[in-house]
Amino acid sequence: MSHDVEILLVEDSPEDAELTIRALRRNKLANEIHVAEDGAEALDFLFCRGAHADREFSHAPRLVLLDLKLPKVSGLEVLRALRADERTRAIPVVILTSSKEERDLIDGYKLGVNAYAQKPVDFEQFSETVRQIGMFWMLINQAPPPGAFVASNAQRA
Amino acid sequence: MSHKVEILLVEDGVEDAELTIRALRRYKLANNIHVAEDGADALDFLFCRGAHEGRRFSHPPKLVLLDLKLPKINGMEVLRSIRADERTKAIPVVVLTSSKEERDLVTGYNLGVSAYVQKPVEFEQFSEAIRQIGMFWMLINQALPPGAFAASNAYGD
Amino acid sequence: MTSSSKAIAAFPLLILTCIGTLSYWSEVRNDQDRGWVTHTLHVVEKLQTLRIDITQCETGQRGYMLTGKDRYLELYQAGVTQVRQDLRELPDLTADNPNEREAITRLDPLIASRLAELNDGIWVRKESGLLAGAEAVTRANNGEKWMGQIASQISEMRDTEAALLTSRLETAAASTRKIKIVIVGGNALAILILLAKYVVIRREIDKRNLAERSLRLSNERLERRTAELSETNIELESFAYSVAHDLRAPLRHIAGYSGVLVQDYASRLDEEGLRCLGKVSDCAQKMGRLVDDLLSLSKIGRQELKFQNTPLDVLLEQAIDDVAPEWAGRKLEWQIGDLFKVECDPGLVQQVFVNLLSNAVKYTRTREHAVIQVGQTRQNGERVVFVHDNGVGFEMQYAGKLFGVFQRLHKARDFEGTGVGLATVQRIIRKHGGRIWAEAELDRGATFFFTLGAPEKNTSRAGKFPIPEGQMHVTQS
Repeated sequence: MSHDVEILLVEDSPEDAELTIRALRRNKLANEIHVAEDGAEALDFLFCRGAHADREFSHAPRLVLLDLKLPKVSGLEVLRALRADERTRAIPVVILTSSKEERDLIDGYKLGVNAYAQKPVDFEQFSETVRQIGMFWMLINQAPPPGAFVASNAQRA
Repeated sequence: MSHKVEILLVEDGVEDAELTIRALRRYKLANNIHVAEDGADALDFLFCRGAHEGRRFSHPPKLVLLDLKLPKINGMEVLRSIRADERTKAIPVVVLTSSKEERDLVTGYNLGVSAYVQKPVEFEQFSEAIRQIGMFWMLINQALPPGAFAASNAYGD
Repeated sequence: MTSSSKAIAAFPLLILTCIGTLSYWSEVRNDQDRGWVTHTLHVVEKLQTLRIDITQCETGQRGYMLTGKDRYLELYQAGVTQVRQDLRELPDLTADNPNEREAITRLDPLIASRLAELNDGIWVRKESGLLAGAEAVTRANNGEKWMGQIASQISEMRDTEAALLTSRLETAAASTRKIKIVIVGGNALAILILLAKYVVIRREIDKRNLAERSLRLSNERLERRTAELSETNIELESFAYSVAHDLRAPLRHIAGYSGVLVQDYASRLDEEGLRCLGKVSDCAQKMGRLVDDLLSLSKIGRQELKFQNTPLDVLLEQAIDDVAPEWAGRKLEWQIGDLFKVECDPGLVQQVFVNLLSNAVKYTRTREHAVIQVGQTRQNGERVVFVHDNGVGFEMQYAGKLFGVFQRLHKARDFEGTGVGLATVQRIIRKHGGRIWAEAELDRGATFFFTLGAPEKNTSRAGKFPIPEGQMHVTQS
């Protein structure tokens, strides 16, 4: 792939996807954004299999924006699968969901999510939220280096 | 009016600590910042023991800014301890370090750091980085609500 | 044991006690009777001895009369001594029997006379020799008469004693028989009573078993019911969650796309067009808040309270923090009194504070110098928390609608709101077994009072409303 995917947006609502991408692009935070519309596709993408067999683990996205309510495989299950495998464990995942339910928060943190953001209903706030997410995770945060996505990592803690 | 500590800044450099706090206060991102000057004090603080016995697990800081090079117990060990205990596992920990070592990045992500930020050398950029950190982690990120840390114990996994 | 059971239990004990007493008494009687038998034998023996001794006197005297030998004289004298001794002892032995004593008094002179005769005879012999002596003996023919009388008297006395003994023995036997009957009868009765008790106890056990079984059955039914309700609750919970989530998404999109239009197509819209878009956005916003409020309202109904002994000051502090953004940039004075500790669900009670403070902040918006007071007071012996503001207040005639869902007392134009906040507060307070009410005056302010029903710990001193100057902690923005 010539251009690495910077953000994997896992979102089943086309409208939410569109509004999110708009906000990211508007603020020039990311160019290469891939949308997975259900959990299964997200896993295929991240585990470099199925329709995405040509991908490489070392070219992991810098950020996964993960909705919780997804068809086929839920957001938490995607997160669980990611954290269970050395090759994907280090990928930064930010849950972006309408839910502010304590249960979801607890489950997310338990599974080792990096951050959790709630989608505001208000458009301006929504845009601002996405902007902040983008700014921090794309510009400030140091993404894990390719060496972090290798199985039987010599640096294993 | 609140006495709750919002940010635990684990930093042994006096100037770095001061500049960080200034930036956070200037942008009104946090009022209550506690500084721990070594890893042992940081752990005592988070585990409500020693000099910090009066603290409660149910009211953790919203964010831990963690330097890596610390006296007594270093940053990675602090991070490991935080992630190893159910009562503290979900606290957002952002490593804020001058280290550019890839090894540290990999270890950090393997140990489950929430985010990893390299301290810019230049003051303006440093301030800006702190501001972005503050904005994302204090305003956008949803931390577990107080008391939910106890609840998270109840859900065995 | 029931009291009648106890009474029944007492009976066998009583009977056994009586039987024991009777047995003891019977033994005592037996001893006495044995004593009497021995006594009678003594008397009879003594009488017998007396007869022998008298005979010895006779024999001795006759022998001396005939032979003049001292040997016979000694025999006679020994006999006399014995007789005298016997006569002395007899009265003591027959002390219990007046008839016998009378018999003895008859016996005495007879024996005395005979002895005197014998004595005379001996004197004659001593003085006058054999022939004179023989004559004296022949002359005393009435010796036999005396002897016969004495003998028959003694026989009589012996018979009397024997009869007495027999009658005593019969009485004893009779009463022993009676006692035996009583003992056997008493034992039988005791056994019967114990049997009766056994039957009663069995019946009680059966009754209790029955009661236990029916209790168990109704418990099982209750558990099933609870499990069903639990399931229903869980279904409601996930329903509410889904509804909230699914309703929020389209709202976000409505607001989102209107926002896009405003952002990117503002130049192609006139003022009115932009205003309409703004309206669309606002309405979506409002519905979003409504969905959130309804979700929390429904959750409270289904939530189980987690009681903890909580200092209300801590919750209030947190709530003041939480509402801080709502009065940012305004001048607001907080007057806070001491609050107390109480058993309550801290999360929910904090929500109460947040909602009440949020209202106070909102409705004092028009005030130059807004003041919000929170403290405690005492009414009818109960501890009451109050939240007072000097805002626009409301008309008391509509106070009944304050806590209704979606009910509002102000125009939406003047103050935004979903009309769910106070309903939520009331539900929480009610769940704690407390009460909430309000007093207000239009344009002067409003005060909300609530109790938390549960008993308090560590009661601190009661506060006053309004809070006196010296007791306030005041903060200003």
